[in-house]
Amino acid sequence: MTDVIIPIEEDGGRTTSAPPPSSVRRSWAWVGLVPFFAFLFLFLIVPAFSVFLQALKTEEDGLSLSAMGEAFSGQNFQAFKFSIVFSAGAAIVGVVFGTLLAYAAASLIRPKWLRNLITSFSGVAANMGGLPLAFAFITLLGARAGVLTNVLNWLGIDIYDHGFDLGNTAGLIVVYSYFNIPLMVLITLPAIDGLKQSWREACANLGGTTFTYWRRVGIPVLTPSLLGGFLLLFANSFAAYATARILTDNSKIVSLRIAFFLGGDVGIGEDAVGFSLAAWMIIIMALCMSFYWLARKRAERWRA
Amino acid sequence: MTDHHIHLPPASTALLDDDDNPTAPTAVAPQSVGRPSSRFSKIVPVLVLLACGFFFLAPLLTLARHSLQNVPAFLLGRETLFKKWALTPVTLAFKDPAFWPALSLSLKLAAGTVLLTLGLLIPTAVWTHLRVPKARSLIEFVTVLPYMIPPIAMVAGIIIVKPHARWFLNSDLALIPFYVVLALPFTYRSIDAGLRAIDLRTLVDASRSLGAGWGATLWKVLLPNMRAAIISAAFLTAAVVIGEFTIADTLLKETLPRFQATFVGREPQAGYALNLLALLVTTLLFVLLSVLTRKRDVSRRPYVPPADLTAPSTSTGAHS
Repeated sequence: MTDVIIPIEEDGGRTTSAPPPSSVRRSWAWVGLVPFFAFLFLFLIVPAFSVFLQALKTEEDGLSLSAMGEAFSGQNFQAFKFSIVFSAGAAIVGVVFGTLLAYAAASLIRPKWLRNLITSFSGVAANMGGLPLAFAFITLLGARAGVLTNVLNWLGIDIYDHGFDLGNTAGLIVVYSYFNIPLMVLITLPAIDGLKQSWREACANLGGTTFTYWRRVGIPVLTPSLLGGFLLLFANSFAAYATARILTDNSKIVSLRIAFFLGGDVGIGEDAVGFSLAAWMIIIMALCMSFYWLARKRAERWRA
Repeated sequence: MTDHHIHLPPASTALLDDDDNPTAPTAVAPQSVGRPSSRFSKIVPVLVLLACGFFFLAPLLTLARHSLQNVPAFLLGRETLFKKWALTPVTLAFKDPAFWPALSLSLKLAAGTVLLTLGLLIPTAVWTHLRVPKARSLIEFVTVLPYMIPPIAMVAGIIIVKPHARWFLNSDLALIPFYVVLALPFTYRSIDAGLRAIDLRTLVDASRSLGAGWGATLWKVLLPNMRAAIISAAFLTAAVVIGEFTIADTLLKETLPRFQATFVGREPQAGYALNLLALLVTTLLFVLLSVLTRKRDVSRRPYVPPADLTAPSTSTGAHS
């Protein structure tokens, strides 16, 4: 179940390919895929393409890049800055703690069920974004309703005095970690399991310490997975909407700002900015996912 | 001994260190070479596990408390801790007139999305595996495209297209095809993995040579063999649809998540209880899924040719 959520592992089963049918038949066989591609064309390609078209269109039916540039000025720029900063922060936190948790799970020997619990829970929690999560964190860390906030107050620590807020960078990082850390566990656990015992032994036989092992073998082998994980987590945080919608009221992050422009309470002509923000979001996501793909290919090199 | 330290492998160093029992290499060697043996590296995993346990449980527990106990957080203390607990807030949402239409819309959307997904993907995947294996990498690439177009960007696209297809997009159920696209990366992988795990060509040839038509082959031979993959695709789709907020919120479709969001404003405690319930139901769905697919594993292994017996049979993509 956990593996379906993200393409972590590529199955190597390419051996079952059919014997090549005659060329006449092959040309007809493609017809069977028409419904699928027609469906995708209508419901994925057309909407995505029209976002770009709308973002580039001017009132005189020409094309211009002005709206695309508009997306990087004033409040829109602030939104991009904020989104990128907190998404990067959330991704780093997720990578660090996700890897630590995955390592802890991988080195667990005694209670066998605990490892299974961690992987199953990760599969659930990685998809748990959305409303319930936002509300759960309000009951934990909210300004008034938060139990932990009040416990800390009672201990003499007022986190809200130190600039903490669930809608701020720190708050969003904490909340997003709830699905980012499990996602990272799902990504790195196969990689950590792939660290072979024999490598450690080989390193020890050559006189290396544990530190040498990690510096020269462990970390370099894991790097592509960690990098890929960072990109996926960044994309995941950058595009998230529901959780942020509950936790921050204003449109200070990009996904909320797009919704604000789409909501229709803006002047004519301004809505093009919403579409250009959406276009930029697609571009950023596409870049992240492409590099993630590359990192994954690289990570698979060590798995025989 | 410390002079030799650099030249000796750690295993032998540990052996020499062991004063109590210097002639028991087997007891020492595997431990010092293999698993982290220093106190530091033993305690770190435990600390990480404890910290994560707290982090992942605390919000759920406080959400449960907030839902079931009607005491403001700042009044919590020794004397109020056990007061005013009740299960009634959970049922309050059911009495709201807007709840049932929202739930029914979400269930309809989920059912429609599952049916359309399976109806579209199973024939396509089977056809690709049998007749157009060359297209497999293309289809695989296309199915991860939805990752690059997040829901909020897709909504922007829907709003642009809307004036040209108002007759279709004004309907609430028009969300179904977009939800199919949204869940595509999960669902296609699941079904594709299910097909890879069975010897499709042999099964189809056998069935066809026994006189079964394409319909019977699909219905009586392939679907039962792909049961685990189909179940997980269906459950994942349902979970995605029932929790989807972005598109429904922006297009103002009154689905369950939208009700969850607005109901909190009207009835805070009951609203939180409803969200707790939604969380529990989704989690149960996942637990049920893993139980269902595991059972099938044991009782009904899909047919695997002898050469592939070592390959994982139903795992949806992972192999070690």
